[in-house]
Amino acid sequence: MIASLRAENLKIRKRWANWILLAILLAWIVLLSYLTFYLVVRLSPHSIQGPVPASVLKRRLFPENYVPTVLNAAESIGAAIMLIFGALSTASEYGWLTVQTILIQKPTRSAVLGGKLLGIGISTVLVSLALLAITALSSYVVVTVDNSSSTWPSWEVTLKAFGALVLELTVWSLLGALVGVAFRSAAAAIGGGLVYLFVVEALLGSLFRTTPIVKEVLKFLPGVNSNAINASFPATFRDSTGTALVGAGRGVVTLLLYLAIFTISSLLIFRERDVGGS
Amino acid sequence: MAQTLAVETHGLSKRYSTGVMAVNDLTLLVKTGEVYGFLGPNGAGKTTTLRMLSGLLHPTSGKAIVAGAAPGSPSSLARMGAMVETPAFYPYLSGRDNLRVVARYASVNPSRIDPVLKQVDLTDRARYKFRTYSTGMKQRLGVAAALLKDPDLLILDEPTSGLDPQGTVEMRALIADLRREGRTVLLSSHLLNEVELTCDRVGVIAKGQLVAEGTVDELRARSGGRTLLIRATPLDQARRLLESLLKPDQVKLVQDAFVLSVDPSQAASLNRRLVADGVDVSELRVSEQSLEAVFLELTESPQAGAAQQAEAKK
Repeated sequence: MIASLRAENLKIRKRWANWILLAILLAWIVLLSYLTFYLVVRLSPHSIQGPVPASVLKRRLFPENYVPTVLNAAESIGAAIMLIFGALSTASEYGWLTVQTILIQKPTRSAVLGGKLLGIGISTVLVSLALLAITALSSYVVVTVDNSSSTWPSWEVTLKAFGALVLELTVWSLLGALVGVAFRSAAAAIGGGLVYLFVVEALLGSLFRTTPIVKEVLKFLPGVNSNAINASFPATFRDSTGTALVGAGRGVVTLLLYLAIFTISSLLIFRERDVGGS
Repeated sequence: MAQTLAVETHGLSKRYSTGVMAVNDLTLLVKTGEVYGFLGPNGAGKTTTLRMLSGLLHPTSGKAIVAGAAPGSPSSLARMGAMVETPAFYPYLSGRDNLRVVARYASVNPSRIDPVLKQVDLTDRARYKFRTYSTGMKQRLGVAAALLKDPDLLILDEPTSGLDPQGTVEMRALIADLRREGRTVLLSSHLLNEVELTCDRVGVIAKGQLVAEGTVDELRARSGGRTLLIRATPLDQARRLLESLLKPDQVKLVQDAFVLSVDPSQAASLNRRLVADGVDVSELRVSEQSLEAVFLELTESPQAGAAQQAEAKK
């Protein structure tokens, strides 16, 4: 599996599409989560008053709130980007037929896919670090430009946030890898994955959150469980998306189960299915 | 001493989920150190067979041993290099980086990359992206990847497909080099000329079944072998004389020439008799049954071919 992991790392590192995905993710945080939000709060006319005063709203961008901000981004754009990353990693091998090139080298099929999933996991850890760093840096720049003061979250909270980021983003990237293996087409995998993310998780999750039957189903979905973990972190204030449907502990256990399910399912499909032919 | 086998299949079959029986009860024996040509028309089951031997497809039934182990097992893959169907690489990587990826998967020392690039004459273009490669260059990179493990056995699917005449000649030379180095090469092709020029033995597959196997000369012999071609006038007089000297089914008139299914050593005596009888002989030569004719005969009717093979074995 180490041989496969080394090959996978080389492919991930050299693929421009991966760097573009990372750039989109980081740019989203800097431009939308921070710059645009700051300009709106800072430059909006004083005559327009929302329910929350601008001075309070602004604190959302300060270091004291950078953990909930990064987790919020991970839940939306982060999930989508990592799903695309995972799907591209596996589905492209079928699109380019490179799956047959790598399967006729030495490792077993399990080792090949194991190395790939491990490579995706390591990349996700690095992406999580980059996300934390860019969010922290952005919040520092905002508080400095605003000539205000703020406090940083404790190391304990930061480490827990890093763990939550890695767990949540890995679930989405492995879901992408699974649909990539299942569909064997990057377009179908990305399309299907994003439809699930934005229609099932986001849309249904917000529209029918209070419907009793749907609510029970939602409690088992990865997005809802990620949301529960994120809600457990301290924040000056939160967007009103409703209270978490499950506790943070259950959220962690559910996501760990999803990691296992996605990994095992991918391995089973990859090991047993013929490559090529009609 | 019995010659060892590099590839051995017994009753190998593959039925796809669509119901298509791509390979049916295939028994194939490829000896160590030989270049074996796997010949058949498009859709005959060549690539399906090679995919099974490479571990990419699971056989429906039957068994195979490739390089001493089960197809697709690490010990089999470690001793074989393969290029199945089209050479498939990462378009965003250079030729060299693609080989680095393959080397990492195969746990091969990267110092092997330069020699194999040189062997397939790709050193100058190794830094260019794979997506910019011509068909011939892609083909050569595929062979380079197959050679990276320094394998005992090479499985090459249509290795000259898409190559220009120069590339085809170079590929043949490369295969000859591989044979000299003592490697076993199993190559598939639908190009008769290629097989004739490069292979020690040939297996002909049609509709998923092996219909003939042997050297090119053996295959020709099974389908009539060598014949005598005589062009003589007057035609009627020549025909009467030849039919009186030979059995009727040994004499065929094809486009103003007689094709005689006789031992070529009879050429001189037949010539003497014709001339003595006042027939003018303008051409007399030994005509070899073309491999193309043999191939068409064998692949048009697998049952007939199989029967012919069984007959020849008696």
